[in-house]
Amino acid sequence: MSNTLLKIESVCKIYPGNILALNNVNININNNEIIAILGPSGSGKSTLIRTILGLTSLNKGNIYFRSKNYKDNNFNIIRNSIATIYQNFNLVSRSSIIKNIILGDIAKVSSWRLLFNVWPKETQDKAKDIIEEVGLNDIDYNKRVENLSGGQQQRVGIARALIGSPDIILADEPVSNLDPQTAKDILNLIRKTAKKNNISVLCSLHQTNFAKTFADRIIGMKEGNILFDKPAKKILKFDLNKLYK
Amino acid sequence: MIANNKKLNPPFNYKTIILVLLIIFILIFSAQRVGIPNIVDRLYEVSLDIIGVKETSRISDGLSSIANEMWPPVIETKKDINLILNFDSSNLPFYSFIENQKVQLYETNLETLELESREEEVLFLVEPFGYLKLVLLKVIESIEIAFWASFIALIISIPLAYYSAKNYAPNKTIYFLSRSIVSGLRAIPELISVLFMVLAFGFGPAAGIMALGLHSAGFLGKFFAEDIENANQGPQDALKALGSSRWRILKEAVLPQVMPQYVAYILYILDRNLRMATVIGLVGGGGIGQELKGRFDLFEYGHVTTIILVIFIVVFIFDQISAKLRNKLIGNSS
Ligand SMILES: Nc1ncnc2c1ncn2[C@@H]1O[C@H](COP(=O)(O)OP(=O)(O)OP(=O)(O)O)[C@@H](O)[C@H]1O
Ligand SMILES: [Mg+2]
Repeated sequence: MSNTLLKIESVCKIYPGNILALNNVNININNNEIIAILGPSGSGKSTLIRTILGLTSLNKGNIYFRSKNYKDNNFNIIRNSIATIYQNFNLVSRSSIIKNIILGDIAKVSSWRLLFNVWPKETQDKAKDIIEEVGLNDIDYNKRVENLSGGQQQRVGIARALIGSPDIILADEPVSNLDPQTAKDILNLIRKTAKKNNISVLCSLHQTNFAKTFADRIIGMKEGNILFDKPAKKILKFDLNKLYK
Repeated sequence: MIANNKKLNPPFNYKTIILVLLIIFILIFSAQRVGIPNIVDRLYEVSLDIIGVKETSRISDGLSSIANEMWPPVIETKKDINLILNFDSSNLPFYSFIENQKVQLYETNLETLELESREEEVLFLVEPFGYLKLVLLKVIESIEIAFWASFIALIISIPLAYYSAKNYAPNKTIYFLSRSIVSGLRAIPELISVLFMVLAFGFGPAAGIMALGLHSAGFLGKFFAEDIENANQGPQDALKALGSSRWRILKEAVLPQVMPQYVAYILYILDRNLRMATVIGLVGGGGIGQELKGRFDLFEYGHVTTIILVIFIVVFIFDQISAKLRNKLIGNSS
């Protein structure tokens, strides 16, 4: 079996107003690979992640998950395999830490369980294990998430992504709202848990210095085009200058 | 350098002045039409009356004609025992007694054809708290009307809210239809709709429940839907990306956000229905209003006072309870 997990082939996205956000983008994401996307504001990083998730439709091209093409109608083949981490955490405020984590399994639980808020014991146990894994074990998990610090909230976000045992995690600027030290800790956590659980990661970042230690591979985007796609170790100052000039 | 040719807007210009003049003109015109000068006139008069410059005023004349009869409140009932069916003097109602009273009877003397009065002893059954009891029973009926109306409103408003929320309605037609129903329900005042409900359900509580229930369903439907539309999109996106269906997103990502507001709306509707339930009786909707209207029409102002006092106490108590409830349900966020 091929090592390719997700294949993005000739993808174009044009927003109303003739804005070319993605211009013929080709990316191969391998199993167990961590990729960072760098690029100035408006280069199309968020659009790329949203199209992979099926939150925006594409104008041209195909996306294959494990060699299966998925379009508007059969996103279900990826739902169980893709998890997401967000810049604004996107947690359900007024709900508890553990509830937010368990919600990562929302599509897998039966309707009546959801209606009466009865979650399977395995899910709850798993959530408690993951709480430990992301380093939230010294906080009462019944605490409401809006009372947590930004870093703690993103840890809950990571836990929510992990509970569904995904094959790939998509993260759109997961550390932009955090101070540098916390950002570093969070990226380390993502890398550590992804490697441990054999998860691929596609993560957009603004901090080039973080990208080099975080990712196996770095993709540079500018105005909807891919400028470079190289192993992190081989990224040169020259590449970055091209990107941000 | 780019020339900055943008100027700050002045705080007002000729348009503002014209607008203000127009508003003043409309206000003067409208004030004449609705009798504002009359109000000013009478308030001026009554203030002269109060400070003693003037002897009488129309306001105090009008109110004093009934003020004397409004006190004391009537809390007892007194019935001629001859008018009570199957009266059994050995088995009186709890805490009641029989009073012997002389009453003036007027009769036409058939020989002289003149009206003659004579005195006669009549036995009355007196229940010292009989009227208070009746009022309380009627008030309880009003409270029941309010609760059922609010409950029905809640049940109806849940689907209405879902289909009236732009981001959850399955399509535009259903959205538009649902919004129209919501507006329609709120557009008809209860005092009018209860007239139709009386035709449909007959005089009594049922008509009142339906009238209040439908009106408040419109209110709840509108506000529930608007809160759904304005709920933070982030968590909804997150659950959508996980492959969650609409109602699951609604339950897990939207409801927790909007719940405090919903509780506040429901308490407001309960409060409003409680007050309205006392009023709709005036036009046949059951409850204490019916009694109030009857006594007012018979000029029995003592009874009216009792009713108003009881309503006041009930509304006051409910206010206290709902304030506590609100704090408990949505107050702290720890
Ligand atoms: N919903 C939208 N409608 C129209 N244009 C959009 C929309 N979303 C993004 N765009 C445009 O598409 C282009 C790419 O935007 P995108 O958000 O993908 O960039 P980005 O790389 O994520 O930027 P940033 O680093 O600031 O987050 C921009 O020109 C943006 O203005
Ligand atoms: Mg972005």
